[in-house]
Amino acid sequence: MKTESTVKYVLRLALTLLAITAVVAACLAYVNGITKPRIDAAKAAKTQLAIETVLPGGGEEVQDFTDETGMVSKVYGSDTGYAVEVTPSGFNGTITMMVGVSKDGKVLGISMISQTETAGLGAVSAAKTAAGETFRGQYKGQSGTLAVSKDGGTIDALTGATITSRAVTTGVNAALSCVAGMD
Amino acid sequence: MNAYVQSLLGILLSAVLTENFILVKFYGICPFMGVSKKTDTAIGMGMAVTFVMGIACAACWVVNQWVLVPLELEYMQTVTFILVIASIVQVVEMFLKKTVPALYQALGIYLPLITTNCAVLGAALVNVQKGYDFLQSVVFGVCGGLGFTLAIVLFASIRERTDKSDCPQCFKGFPITLISAGLLALAFMGFSGLKIF
Amino acid sequence: MDFKRQFKEGLLTKNPVTVQLLGMCSTLAITTSLFNGLGMGLSVTIILICSNVLISALRKVIPNQIRIAAYIVIIAGFVTIVDLCLQAFLPALSENLGVFIPLIVVNCIILGRAEAFASKNTVLASAVDGLCQGIGYTVALVIMCVIRELLGSGTFGGGILNGGEGIRIIPAQYPAMQMVMPVGGFLTLGAVIAGSQWLMKHLEKKEAAKK
Repeated sequence: MKTESTVKYVLRLALTLLAITAVVAACLAYVNGITKPRIDAAKAAKTQLAIETVLPGGGEEVQDFTDETGMVSKVYGSDTGYAVEVTPSGFNGTITMMVGVSKDGKVLGISMISQTETAGLGAVSAAKTAAGETFRGQYKGQSGTLAVSKDGGTIDALTGATITSRAVTTGVNAALSCVAGMD
Repeated sequence: MNAYVQSLLGILLSAVLTENFILVKFYGICPFMGVSKKTDTAIGMGMAVTFVMGIACAACWVVNQWVLVPLELEYMQTVTFILVIASIVQVVEMFLKKTVPALYQALGIYLPLITTNCAVLGAALVNVQKGYDFLQSVVFGVCGGLGFTLAIVLFASIRERTDKSDCPQCFKGFPITLISAGLLALAFMGFSGLKIF
Repeated sequence: MDFKRQFKEGLLTKNPVTVQLLGMCSTLAITTSLFNGLGMGLSVTIILICSNVLISALRKVIPNQIRIAAYIVIIAGFVTIVDLCLQAFLPALSENLGVFIPLIVVNCIILGRAEAFASKNTVLASAVDGLCQGIGYTVALVIMCVIRELLGSGTFGGGILNGGEGIRIIPAQYPAMQMVMPVGGFLTLGAVIAGSQWLMKHLEKKEAAKK
């Protein structure tokens, strides 16, 4: 090292690091190019599936809606009702879910798009299991403002996951009030 | 404006207590175990992490919003953030060495460890995930650091006692430390669901 | 090259989780169902092998002063690749593990092995080391998952078996849900490490008795 001047030495370090970073960046760009269409397609398919679960026949995206809760991210509408994408915050993070609401303000069904709740507890709310179906089924046909039974409402919370259940209920309420605000 | 201040207070409360970085989110377990033998080193480490995390969250936010998002390079987040954090740690280390040699003596060996502390990278990534703005990101980083400090200091004082007491042979050392951490986590679970705002 | 010794070290005597106490963040956080544990274990193993091989191959090129920075960039590259692939091909797993996939970058196992092994050994030895340490990590994770899932949710094989619900072993009303919460992570890891310490002592005694 002593034969090298300081400038040269620093340059050598910087250039080596730069070269490594550049190669890594190039690799990532390549992989991203391959995976991005798949990731986007998977996400779109998931949203589409969620819409069709809660609003048979699907719907077109509605641009014009009022949202006082700050939880509604997208609204899809058809002749029979609306599918509202809401994002309440759960126990571990944001829950993204789709709520189907009929024209007369009744819940048609709910479907989870993504959540990060505790496995075996809050995550049951999104599971394709009997317990999950029962939990989500409770919302069907309800209207007005809902609450879990602990808060004096009619929704039975999931075992050990009151916070998740509350969050889901808040999301459903946000969707209901959003649809109520539409003409 | 009022709602915005509320959101900041909400972040503060959740980062320190209900979503404590160590005991609920499991970010930064390695230094939590490694540096919690004595209360004073624990305080030092906590301070160092808080400091670095505040700066790192700010820097990562700027880099993400002004460089990665406009260039549509979001997939480079992990690589960029870790580089930003590593350089910040390096700068802080040099800065401390020059200006506060006493603190450097105390923290010197822990500072490089902060680079590989998941708490810092975790905070930066969570900021992006939750879509926080600049101020919210910094508040989240600093309060996360304070939560980290709280947990590590509490834990160090527990550990100073358990190290001297008797326990079954095979539980000696780390196992008993982990069990006490578990009990501390149990206590922090009491905060879960605490929501003022 | 001593494959057998490396394997034993990775699995038991120098197990990354129970002995070296590396990478505990992910160990504690995601071990709530078998699917998560296996997925995380395999992701880390793949990244560990790749980064070990590359770092070992480049060990004479990378100047000593910037080696840590270079390692981190290389590791972060592999982690992002795995992250993107999981999002594209196994979205369910990627969703479950969440932020802990990018956090593999700062998982001390990978940087630790790069610094302690790959930077000093040949490419082949480093690959084997990555594989053995990765298997050791996966085994530790799976053990944690099985215990926590059984006690916490009362099931086995959640996320994979029985259409994702897992096989129910304990009726739904009995499990202590605290076991799948943070508390359970600490308690289980403590117990698992105690178990492995006991096992090692036991093996040592046996060997001493043989002599």
